Amino acid sequence: MGLLNFTRDPVPEAVSGDMHNLNQLSAQQFSALTEVLFRFLTEPKEVERFLTQLSDFATMNKISLGPLKNIVKSILLVPNGALKRNLSSEQVRADFIALGLSEEKASYFAEQWKVNSPTLTRLAVGQTLMINQLIDMEWKFGVTAGSSELEKVGSIFLQLKLVIKKGSQTENIYIELTLPQFYSFLHEMERVKTSLESFS
Amino acid sequence: MAALRDGEFVALQSLLKAPSRDAVRQLCQECFSSPPAGLGPLAQRACPGLTAGPEEAEQLVSALHNLTRHVVYHGLTRAEDILSLFPKDFHQNLKNLLTKIILENIPAWRNEAQASQISLPRLVDMDWRVDIKTSSDSISRMAVPTCLLQLKIQEDVALCGNSPVVSALTVELSKETLDTMLEGLGRIRDQLSAVASK
Repeated sequence: MGLLNFTRDPVPEAVSGDMHNLNQLSAQQFSALTEVLFRFLTEPKEVERFLTQLSDFATMNKISLGPLKNIVKSILLVPNGALKRNLSSEQVRADFIALGLSEEKASYFAEQWKVNSPTLTRLAVGQTLMINQLIDMEWKFGVTAGSSELEKVGSIFLQLKLVIKKGSQTENIYIELTLPQFYSFLHEMERVKTSLESFS
Repeated sequence: MAALRDGEFVALQSLLKAPSRDAVRQLCQECFSSPPAGLGPLAQRACPGLTAGPEEAEQLVSALHNLTRHVVYHGLTRAEDILSLFPKDFHQNLKNLLTKIILENIPAWRNEAQASQISLPRLVDMDWRVDIKTSSDSISRMAVPTCLLQLKIQEDVALCGNSPVVSALTVELSKETLDTMLEGLGRIRDQLSAVASK
């Protein structure tokens, strides 16, 4: 096996056997299986649904679920590696062929890869590390009517609650701003937006 | 509501022993700014200047504190209102001097009271920078702009006294989060204008 695009590590031995089994599927069966796989890749949280669909596929096509799961594990190696390395669909196709998949099936899979890669890329970017990500902001403003030092105040206050994701927990930060600070904050945030937009 | 009890006005007359008008002015300012707990030490410091015993100084300082705070609390702004707080038999010149000093200081004292009132932690400064993420473990090539926002937050002034505790919080915002935030801030601005124009 020549150099693969999707990984530098040696591929598990079982993979070529799994590819051989895949080649035995009809074009229709392969297409149905590919659909199940991509639906899972684009919605990785739907694990239950994925397993159910695999199980249905196994029953309908009279394949045992155990071997099918192994085949699926082997197939998934390629798209996962391809995503990390920003591979093109030609490279994905070449890798499948190198692993032993038929040209027809490899081309079909690579085509589906091309169609789904914007969504998959967006998902991968979304998983990228963020430090203290701001996930929510709540606010209220009002008038301070009086205090223990001043019977009548009549000044405006603005309170912000920022919800920050710290690791796996969220933390609430409460801050108060005066009116001039608020306008200054708003102005700065608008400058940030302009800056972000010029880089998008 | 009377500003002070009768005994307290008597205590104020100790000011007649002050070396100068400036000394009286200085003492008024210190008495206003001091929290009740700080009045004891302040009285001790004032003793020598007023040639007064510790008990007399304490009563004076307490009376001055109460008087100045009363004026600021009730938002009195006219000389007549302040003059009328004093009993009829109070020393005229001292009454006029105190009224003059208080009137001069009211704006500054009001600001001081507002600045030191209780509040949630306050935003004191903010800085930002925009980064472009080019690579990560989940995807090796990308160009995603992101914003890092550093907020300097000061804990409640009333709790910290003279040594304010300022903490820095750095927060990361994606473009989408920033857009949503700006939407919220824009709504606040619109509502503020609506309130202001009423």
